[in-house]
Amino acid sequence: MILAEVGQPQFSTQITLYGAHRAIYHREKKMTDPTLMIDLARLDFAWITTMHILYPPLTIGLASFLLYSEWRWLKTDNDEWYRLTRFFEKLFIINFGAGVATGVTMEMSFGILFGPFSQAAGPFFGNILGYETITAFMYEAGFIGLMIFGWGKISKKMHIFATFNVAFSSMLSAMWILVANSWMQSPTGVHLEKGLFLVDDWTAAIFNPNFLTAFPHMAIASIEIGLFFVAGISAWMIYKNRHAQMFMRTLTASLMALVIVAPLQVYIGDELGRTVAEHDPAALAAMEGHWHTYNADGTPNTSWNLIAWPDEEKGTNTFQIGIPHVLSLLEDHKWVSTVKGLDQFKPEDRPPVLAPFYAFRIMVAAGGILMLVAFWALYLRYKGKFSAEELQRRPWFLRAIIFSAILPYIAIWTGWWTREIARQPWLVHGLMRTSEGVSQMSIAAEIIWFIGFVFFDLVVWIGAWYFFSKVVRTGPDMDEEIMYGVQDDGFGLVQIPRKDPPEGKPLIERPTV
Amino acid sequence: MQHIMDITHGYQWLTVIWWLMIGLFVVLYIILDGADLGSGIYSLFNSDSEERGAIMASMAGTWDANETWLVVAGGAIFGTFPLAYGSLFHYLMIPLMVVLWGIIVRAVSLEFHHYSKRSRKVWDWGFGIGSLATTFAAGVSLGAFLQGFSMSTGQVPTFNGGAMDFLTPFSLLTGVTAVIAASLAGGTYLRARFNRDTEIYAKALKWTDLMFYLALVAILVTVAWTFIQFPWARDKWIGPYWWAYVTAGAIVLYATWSMRKASREQRDITAMLWLACIVFINFATMMATLYPWFVPGTMTIFDAANPSNSLAAFSYAMLGFVPVMLSYNFYQAWVFRARLHKLVGYAH
Repeated sequence: MILAEVGQPQFSTQITLYGAHRAIYHREKKMTDPTLMIDLARLDFAWITTMHILYPPLTIGLASFLLYSEWRWLKTDNDEWYRLTRFFEKLFIINFGAGVATGVTMEMSFGILFGPFSQAAGPFFGNILGYETITAFMYEAGFIGLMIFGWGKISKKMHIFATFNVAFSSMLSAMWILVANSWMQSPTGVHLEKGLFLVDDWTAAIFNPNFLTAFPHMAIASIEIGLFFVAGISAWMIYKNRHAQMFMRTLTASLMALVIVAPLQVYIGDELGRTVAEHDPAALAAMEGHWHTYNADGTPNTSWNLIAWPDEEKGTNTFQIGIPHVLSLLEDHKWVSTVKGLDQFKPEDRPPVLAPFYAFRIMVAAGGILMLVAFWALYLRYKGKFSAEELQRRPWFLRAIIFSAILPYIAIWTGWWTREIARQPWLVHGLMRTSEGVSQMSIAAEIIWFIGFVFFDLVVWIGAWYFFSKVVRTGPDMDEEIMYGVQDDGFGLVQIPRKDPPEGKPLIERPTV
Repeated sequence: MQHIMDITHGYQWLTVIWWLMIGLFVVLYIILDGADLGSGIYSLFNSDSEERGAIMASMAGTWDANETWLVVAGGAIFGTFPLAYGSLFHYLMIPLMVVLWGIIVRAVSLEFHHYSKRSRKVWDWGFGIGSLATTFAAGVSLGAFLQGFSMSTGQVPTFNGGAMDFLTPFSLLTGVTAVIAASLAGGTYLRARFNRDTEIYAKALKWTDLMFYLALVAILVTVAWTFIQFPWARDKWIGPYWWAYVTAGAIVLYATWSMRKASREQRDITAMLWLACIVFINFATMMATLYPWFVPGTMTIFDAANPSNSLAAFSYAMLGFVPVMLSYNFYQAWVFRARLHKLVGYAH
C-alpha cells in the first residue's frame, strides 16, 4: 500500500468507528434488486439530462443569431436591428440562466449516479469534461458578462467581439460534450488496463468515428432550434400585428437560413444513421425494429418498418408495416444489402427496441416537417408574398411557424433518447456495461433524488417559459436610448457626496434600499 | 490501490500541483460565494421584501461569476482526480443533492425576482431558503469528507457504504459552523455594500456582532473536535511542524482582531478582506493537515489522481489556456471596475 511510502499510519479502524449504522445499510443493500437500482439510476440521470438539454442548444443557436443581428446593426446602422438584438438578448439571458441552474447538477451527477464509470472512464471522459468546464464554460461565462453588461461601456467593435466569443465558446462547449458522449458510442484510442480506460491516442479518442457525424448533427440542431425560436416569436409578433414591419426582418432572415439549414440537418442525420449502422449495428437494428437479418427464404431482409410493435421476449415484432428495400437504401444506399438484425446479437447484448424505435420516428418526422415549413416560406417568398401585410392574410402560415418553434425541442429530446437508449446495455459501447458503471445506491435515495429533481427542474422550466412569455408580451423596448459604443454620461464613477470619511479609494458605491 | 500508484508515480509533482489548484478553486468559491450565501441567510431573519430585493440586486452582476468557481472545481476534480470524483461524490450523494437543489432555487429566485410582480414573495423566500440549504449541506459535506468513507477492495476501489453514512454529529456540527461562518461573511458583505445611513447597514452590524461570537465558538469547537477525533490531524498538529500550525493559528487570531477593528471603525471593505484572509489561511491549514490525503483515511492524492498520461495531457492543454483565461477575466474586471455604483442588473 502507498500509505507506508508516505509515512502515514493507516486508520482503517477509524473509518468504521463512527457507527454501527453503516453495517445496517450494507446489509440492506444486498437485499435490493440490482435491476431496479440500475433502472432507477438511468431514470434519475435521464430526467436531469432531459431537463438540461432544453436550454444549451438554444443558447448556442441564439448566440449565433445575436451575432448576426448585431452585425446587421453595425452594417446598416438601422435602429431596428439594435432593438431586435436587445429584445432577443433578454430571452437569451433567461435561457442561459436556466441552463446554468440545471447544468451544475449535470456536472456532479456523473460521480454521484455513475461513480464506477466516472472512475474507470475518468482518464479520458473526465478530462474532456474538465476541458469543457475550463476552455468553454468559463470562457463563455466571461464573455456573456461583457455582452450583457457591456452595452455602453465598451466600443461597438469590442461588443460584437464579445458576442462572437459567446457564440464561439458555446459551440466549443457543445463540441467537448459531444466528444465525451460520442466516445461512449465508439470508444477508440483507449485500452482497458487494471480497470481504467487509459488513453493511447488522444487524436483517435477525441475524433472518434461517431463524433465526426454526431457533432455536426448536434451543432446544426442547435442552429435550427435557435432559428425556429426566432422565427416563431417573430411570426407571433406579426400575427398579433405588433412591430410587424420590424419583425419581418428577423422572420425573413431566420426562415431563409432555415431553407439551407433544415435540409442540411436531414442529410447529416442520414450520415449519422450510417455511422451508427457501421459502428453499433445493434443500436441501428433497435432503432428500426429490425429483428431478422434474413427472410425465411434466405434473402436479406431489407424491409423498413413504418410502424411496429416489438416483442422483446420472442425476439420479433408482433405486427409491423414494412416497405421492402427502404432499409438497405437508407443504411447502405443500395437496392439490396444485408443489414444486421437483432438476431445477430445475444439477448443480453440487445438494446430495448420500443423506445428507440418510436423516438427515432418522431425525431425524423419533426425534422421533415421543419424542412417542409422552411420550403413553404421559400415558396411564399418566391411568389413575392413575403411582406407583413401578405403574411397577415395567411394566418395559417404564421400559425405553422409558431407551432414549429416547439418541434425542434421534441426532435432534440427524442433524438437523445434514441441515442442513449439504443446504446444499452452498454455504457461504453462494447467495453463497459451500464450495470458495471452504476453506483451502488439505495432505492430510497434514488427515488428521493428523482422526486426532488422532478420538482426543481419543473420549477426552472415553468419559470423560464413564464418569463419568456412575459418578455414577449412586453415586446422590444422602443424608447430606450441606443448605446453607440462607449457612453460617457452616467456610466463613469459618479462622485456622491459622502458623510463619512472615505476608506481609501472605494471600488464599490453603496446602493440604497 | 498500489497499481494506480504505479501509473501515476513519475508525475507526483503534477498531481500535487493539481491538488493545490483544486484547493484554490474551492477556497475562491467559499470566499466569493460565502458572502452571497450569507446575505441570503441574513435576509431570512431580518428583511422585508423590499430589502430582500435590494440584497439580491446588490449581487445581480456577480453571483453567477462567483458560482463559476464551483463548476470549475467540479470539472477539474473529474479531470484530474477521477478516482476521487467517482467515489467521494457518490458517498456525498444526499448532501450534494441538497446543495444542488439549493443552488437551483437560489439561481431561479435571483433571475426571476427581477421579472416578477405577483410572485415576488415566493422568490424572496426561495433566495433565502436556497442560500441556507446550500450552505448547511455544503458544510455537512465538508465534515463528512473529513471523516472519510469505506471503500471496496476491487480492482478499482470505490465507495461501498450506505446513503446515510455522511450523517454524523461531526458533519452536523460542520454544517452549523458553515451556516454561522457564511452569515458572518454575509453581514460583512452587506456592510460594505450599502450606504451608511441605511437601516440595513445598522442591522447588519448587530447581525455581524452576534455572528462573530457564534463563529468564534463554532470554529473553536470544530477545531477541538477535529483534534480529538482525527488522528491524522492530531499527529500533524503536534508533529515536527507544530510551530507552523501555531503560527497559522496566531495569524488567524491577529486577522480576526483586525477584522473586528476594521468593522467597528466602518472600514468595511478592509473588514471583508481580512475575513477573506482568515478563510484562506484556515483552508490552507486544512490542506496542509490533509496532505498527503485526498480524502483523509481513505485515499491519498496519489491514489486518486488521473493516470499520468492523461494528467500530463490535461496540464499541457490547461497551462496554455490559463493565461488567455486570466487575461480576459482581467479585462472584464477592468471594464466593470466602475459598474457597481449603480445597479444596472439584468434588463427588465
